[in-house]
Amino acid sequence: MNTDNCITLKDVSIGYNGSPILNDINFSLKTGEFVVLFGPNGCGKTTLFKTILRIIPPVQGDIIYGNDYTPRFGYVPQRQFLDEIYPFTAEEVVLMGTFGEMKPFHPTAKTNRDWVEQCLKDVGMLDMKKEFFSELSGGQKQRILIARALATRPNVLLLDEPITGVDVIAQKKIIELISELHKKHQLTIMMVTHEVHHIPSWVNKIIHIHHYKVVLGSLEEIISLSRIDEIPTQG
Amino acid sequence: MEQLLQILSPDFLLRNAFYAGLIVGFVCPQVGIFFVLRRMVLLGIALPQVSNAGIAFAFLLHTIGWHIFHHIESEKVMALTGSVVFTLITIFVLAILERRRKGFTENRIGFTYAIAGAAAILFVSWNPYGKAEVLSMLQGEIISIPDIYLWSMLAIYGMIFIILVGFHRNFVLVSYDIDMATTIGKHVVLWDILLYLIIGVIISLGVMTVGPLVIFGFLLIPAITARMITRGILLFCVVSSVIGITTSFIGFYLSYHFDLPTGPTDVVLLCLVLILVYLVKVVLRIWKR
Repeated sequence: MNTDNCITLKDVSIGYNGSPILNDINFSLKTGEFVVLFGPNGCGKTTLFKTILRIIPPVQGDIIYGNDYTPRFGYVPQRQFLDEIYPFTAEEVVLMGTFGEMKPFHPTAKTNRDWVEQCLKDVGMLDMKKEFFSELSGGQKQRILIARALATRPNVLLLDEPITGVDVIAQKKIIELISELHKKHQLTIMMVTHEVHHIPSWVNKIIHIHHYKVVLGSLEEIISLSRIDEIPTQG
Repeated sequence: MEQLLQILSPDFLLRNAFYAGLIVGFVCPQVGIFFVLRRMVLLGIALPQVSNAGIAFAFLLHTIGWHIFHHIESEKVMALTGSVVFTLITIFVLAILERRRKGFTENRIGFTYAIAGAAAILFVSWNPYGKAEVLSMLQGEIISIPDIYLWSMLAIYGMIFIILVGFHRNFVLVSYDIDMATTIGKHVVLWDILLYLIIGVIISLGVMTVGPLVIFGFLLIPAITARMITRGILLFCVVSSVIGITTSFIGFYLSYHFDLPTGPTDVVLLCLVLILVYLVKVVLRIWKR
């Protein structure tokens, strides 16, 4: 694993319309690391994610991207936020990942089509490419969204709750897939989850949002903090 | 058959109305797909009404002797200006409120529809002259379309069609997944503004030429029908326009043959196609079980 910092957050506050929801965020992601962002629902995980992705500006502080290059992000959103009224096939969803490099008024180039096929193959969904995206199962949709993120040729892959709402077998398969992609493509990966048992034991770093504070911790520390939270308070 | 050949003849008296219908039938569904996919169908009802109010207001100004363009005294240019200005202001205000998430979308659109409808009637009733002419324009003059109108329509709708096809990927991506679009470097706000401009121009010009009912029908119904029978966004777009232009062609023929008003005939035909497609889908589903 490389030791270069890929993303560094210095005294960052995040929030909406100038109102912070989390303050004093300080951490860095090293190139090739697998990092999990963990915290309960509604604690600001997705907001932090979107701030790192430059979708939302930070309220305060600096986010430094790379030492000598700006990383290219592959983003896997929470699939329930994507409207199912769109009549996309699985292949068309993955093709969106190549839109950043396609010129207007030009048909899709063969190289892009081949690349999309490769991404579908990498996530084990090539056979399903002509299927309706909205008719796929939760786990299959997640794989397609991971393929779409891969199609952007990213250095950093950010996954927002990729295994929430899918069955246990699909969860296991998705974690295996992410792990395989991490190794195969040397990707820096940041994954958001709100369930402690979704965190793989071998991750490099866990960023924990606990009582409006962002802290770094090991899996054991996170588990013990979660257990403390589960103890009912008296009075 | 003879009547069909008559319609297709270059000397046909109502050829401009026929061609205008075909242009509307072909291009409007391409804009309509974004109404359906962005779940803005109600806006498709309210905006033609706003455009109507703009036309009635411009006519009122014209009648009392106030001209927007002093060197042009044509009431139609004035009406078009009123239609474009009212529609664009409304669509941008609604878009800003939508982005800031102020109140409920349905409430805003309902309010817009009510006030635009009432204002249009008031502007017409205050107009001391030419009430009949204003009403005829508000209902759409699909039969009597001057050459200049047809050519302007062809140029503007043609340009819009080229923009929609050329930048199709960007319009689809910013509609479907704003976050993804931002992540890969698309200027979401600019693409949204361009799409709203296109919607504004299509509706303003269309309402002036063929009336609000026809525009509403061709914007939404072909896209809703195509959504039921297609897989894939490309096929969805193509089938929408095919339904639009075919219905416009058959609707014109039927209205000519049976001496019916063309606009309502087109819209009823579009609705029949939608119902037929729906029934065929239901029958196929039952049969497959």
